Amino acid sequence: MSAAEKKIIISDAAGLDAGTLRGVIRAVELTFDYPTETTALLHDFSFAYDINRGQYHSTLVLEKLTALAPRRALKVLAFTDVDLFIPILTHVFGEAQLGGVSCIVSTHRLDVDLSAADGRRLFQTRVAKEAVHELGHTFSLRHCRDKSCIMHYCHSVLDVDAKSNRLCRYCRVLLADEKNA
Amino acid sequence: MRQTRILIVDDERIMRTSLAGWLERDGHDVETVESGEAALERFKKTRYDIMLVDIKMEGISGLDVLRTVHDSDPDVAVIMITAYGSISTAIEAMKNGATDYLLKPFDPSELGMLIEKILDQQDQKRENLFLREDYRERSRFESMIGQSACMQSVFNLISDIAPSDATILITGETGTGKGLAAKAIHTKSPRCEGPFVVVNCGAIPEHLMESELFGYQKGAFTDAKATKKGRLEIAHGGTLFLDEIGEIGMRMQIDLLRVLEDRVFYRVGGTQPIEVDFRIIAATNRDLSEAVAAKHFREDLFYRLNVIHLEMPPLRQRKEDIPLLASHFMRRFSGEANRPTGRISRKALDELMFHDWPGNVRELENAIERAVVIGKEPTLQPADLPFFRPLSEIGLQEMSLEAVQRAHIAKVLEAGDWNIARCARILGVDRSTLYAKIKRYGLSRPKA
Repeated sequence: MSAAEKKIIISDAAGLDAGTLRGVIRAVELTFDYPTETTALLHDFSFAYDINRGQYHSTLVLEKLTALAPRRALKVLAFTDVDLFIPILTHVFGEAQLGGVSCIVSTHRLDVDLSAADGRRLFQTRVAKEAVHELGHTFSLRHCRDKSCIMHYCHSVLDVDAKSNRLCRYCRVLLADEKNA
Repeated sequence: MRQTRILIVDDERIMRTSLAGWLERDGHDVETVESGEAALERFKKTRYDIMLVDIKMEGISGLDVLRTVHDSDPDVAVIMITAYGSISTAIEAMKNGATDYLLKPFDPSELGMLIEKILDQQDQKRENLFLREDYRERSRFESMIGQSACMQSVFNLISDIAPSDATILITGETGTGKGLAAKAIHTKSPRCEGPFVVVNCGAIPEHLMESELFGYQKGAFTDAKATKKGRLEIAHGGTLFLDEIGEIGMRMQIDLLRVLEDRVFYRVGGTQPIEVDFRIIAATNRDLSEAVAAKHFREDLFYRLNVIHLEMPPLRQRKEDIPLLASHFMRRFSGEANRPTGRISRKALDELMFHDWPGNVRELENAIERAVVIGKEPTLQPADLPFFRPLSEIGLQEMSLEAVQRAHIAKVLEAGDWNIARCARILGVDRSTLYAKIKRYGLSRPKA
């Protein structure tokens, strides 16, 4: 199966509402130009639970997702609502295998600072942005210094709100290189 | 963005890998080691921008690593990593020159902001250096010197390739004269009446690179009070020399490739396409094909630059040029210091020939300049040279094979009263080989 025939598998264990999921699918297909398929690959994250930290080790989850990825999966994008960490950091919003198969986004810390008026729309946008960001890493894109680029690393959710939902022109070229490689 | 080199030193594998993964996604070139010993070993061979060092390790501790690194290169930012409970050690580390410390586990934004702050400071330093070097470049130009066979080949190649408009990639170690070769090509080319514009890609901080190369339109950003031409525009009709091209970041590689292909660009904030006509010469001390393989350098840009390849030989491969170069620098620096041109004593010349010159011609130039400034006698003596140590202090184990060979041949020649046939027999080589070695090592019979 060639890369062109493969799909980006979206596995949702966060219970995203239909509107949020639609926003993710639209953003992913628009940015990466691959078809998507929504399939539940992994629901139980207990194997990655760290009792001392009360959080889930995201690197272990990524390894499991890659092992579970079907042949038709070019990449796997997973969602969870549990709090993720890597050992050296207090928490992460998500993690990705750089140039690899899997990435994960946690919604656990994405619902802060939401106003009553446009809270739902803002949350949907954040989830879609984080999804494209983490998927970008699996296409070998690294953090970008351009603050408006979706690959820019955000210190807080407010920074996530401030950046655009698009790749800058440099990251677009780098993505095209990776897809043509 | 110029890729930042980071070394992580931690004896816990899981900490190393998780931190390395995070920093790689952040766009940095990351290496990891598991001990202080391994860290110092790597540090000898590679220049890192930032080192993240765990304080508590078996053997050489994090503090020991910090002290050694700070003594040797205070520009390397060392961040200490520590567990809660050893803050007093972290404070001691700060007193010993650590840039900062982080408590494990740390907040990702804390790490991100710290790295950003360090890179901004290092950019600032580089910017100052760039301004100083720019001045130096303009005030001191020196033509190339060399009688050795390898330099004669370089001169011939320059004469052959200068008249064409082909792009040239010059490679060679630091201090071998890549910039002089580029200038020589320009001078001998039909574009010699046009400008020779140097862009030191390693010295210009990332945030200045775009406006430095492409210029900017008035109002493009807050400080853009007037329209400014970039170096590409200034190089129109002449030669654009991209020095240290291996240091250029991925983003600028994309922009440069586009300019090389289309010969058209836009000023920052500008909407008018600007057409340019210049010849490109690029230089690097890095192995670009290795950088391409590691995906640090674009393959398409590499092939576009590497149309003609010119390799500059290191000084240790053309030691016969040392006396000529040394005399030339003596004349120049004596003149600059308003002193009569001094001689170089035979023993000092022996020392110059004996040295391996890792910094090449630039190191020789600096050594002679220093000797002229500090030398008390009119004739340059071995003690005036920065690397001089009396032979009695040097053990065989510290000498390169070549240095041992040179010393041995000199000893045999002296003992054999320079009778070439006899000395060649003792050394077990034929006479022509001995003559070649005498020439190579710059040995000469002492005057009676």
